[in-house]
Amino acid sequence: MALFTYGRDVPANPLFRLQEDLKRAFESPFGHGLGLFGRGVRPAINIFKRAGTEDVVVVIEAPGFAPADISVESQGQTLVVSGKPAGQAAAEGAYHRRERVTGEFSRSIQLPRDVDPARATATCKNGVLMLTVPAREEIKPRQISVTGG
Amino acid sequence: MANVEVGRDSKPGVASEEQTRPDRSYRPNVDILETADGLRLWADVPGVDESGIDVELVDDVLTIRGRVSAAEYESLQPAYTEYSVGNYEARFRLSHTIDGSRISAKLANGVLELSLPKVETAKPRRIQIN
Repeated sequence: MALFTYGRDVPANPLFRLQEDLKRAFESPFGHGLGLFGRGVRPAINIFKRAGTEDVVVVIEAPGFAPADISVESQGQTLVVSGKPAGQAAAEGAYHRRERVTGEFSRSIQLPRDVDPARATATCKNGVLMLTVPAREEIKPRQISVTGG
Repeated sequence: MANVEVGRDSKPGVASEEQTRPDRSYRPNVDILETADGLRLWADVPGVDESGIDVELVDDVLTIRGRVSAAEYESLQPAYTEYSVGNYEARFRLSHTIDGSRISAKLANGVLELSLPKVETAKPRRIQIN
C-alpha cells in the first residue's frame, strides 16, 4: 500500500507547486481591498498568508538593492517600502541592451486591520525583501475558561 | 561601431535542452554595456545565491542559469500576486572578439555581473600618423 500518492495536481517539485499556487492567486480578489498604490509600478510585490495564521507576508523583488538601501516605514495600516540604490559609477560605453530597471522606488501597501504593521519584521536576502506582518493579538482565537459555582 | 555580436541565440528551441523538470524558467532582465576593454553584463536574478548560480561557456555560447529556492515559501499561501517565481536562464552567443578564458563573474544582492574582456587584437587602437 502506498503511503504517499502524488496526484496529477500535486507535483513533488516545490517550485512548481509554488508557481501553480501563484498562477491561481493572480485572479484572487484579496488585492482589491488592499489599497495598493502605484499598481504596475516597479517593483512588483507578492502577498502571502502564512498557513494556519493570519500573518501577512509581503515579498518584493528588488535586485541590486542591499539591505541598507531599503527602508520600510509603517503609518497606521500602511507600509511604505522605498529603496534608494547606492550610487553606481557611470560606466563609459554603449549599451547593447538595457532591460533592467534601476533607480529609486517607493510603494505603499494598505494592510487589512487584522495585522499590526508596527510589529512588522523585514529581511532582505539576494535582492528579495520579505516583510512579515504579524496578526494582532486581539484577533487570535482565545480559550475562555468557564468557572462555575 | 558595435562589432561585437551579442544577440541572443536566434534558435533557442534548437539550442536549449529538453526540460526535465516541470517548473518554468524565466529570462532575466539584462543590461549589456560595451566599453573599449570588453563587455559588461548585468542580469537580475533575485532570490538566487552563490550556490544556485551557474555560468557556462561552451564553444561561443554563454549560458547563465540561476536556481531559486522555494524553501522560503513553505507554508505561505498566495493572497495577491504581481509576479511569479522561477529559475532563470539566458543564453548569449559571443563573438570571437571576446576572450573566453578571462570571463569573470560576481553575484551581489540578486544581480549577476559578468565581465567579458575583449581579446587584445579587438581593442580599439589609435594609429599614429607620422
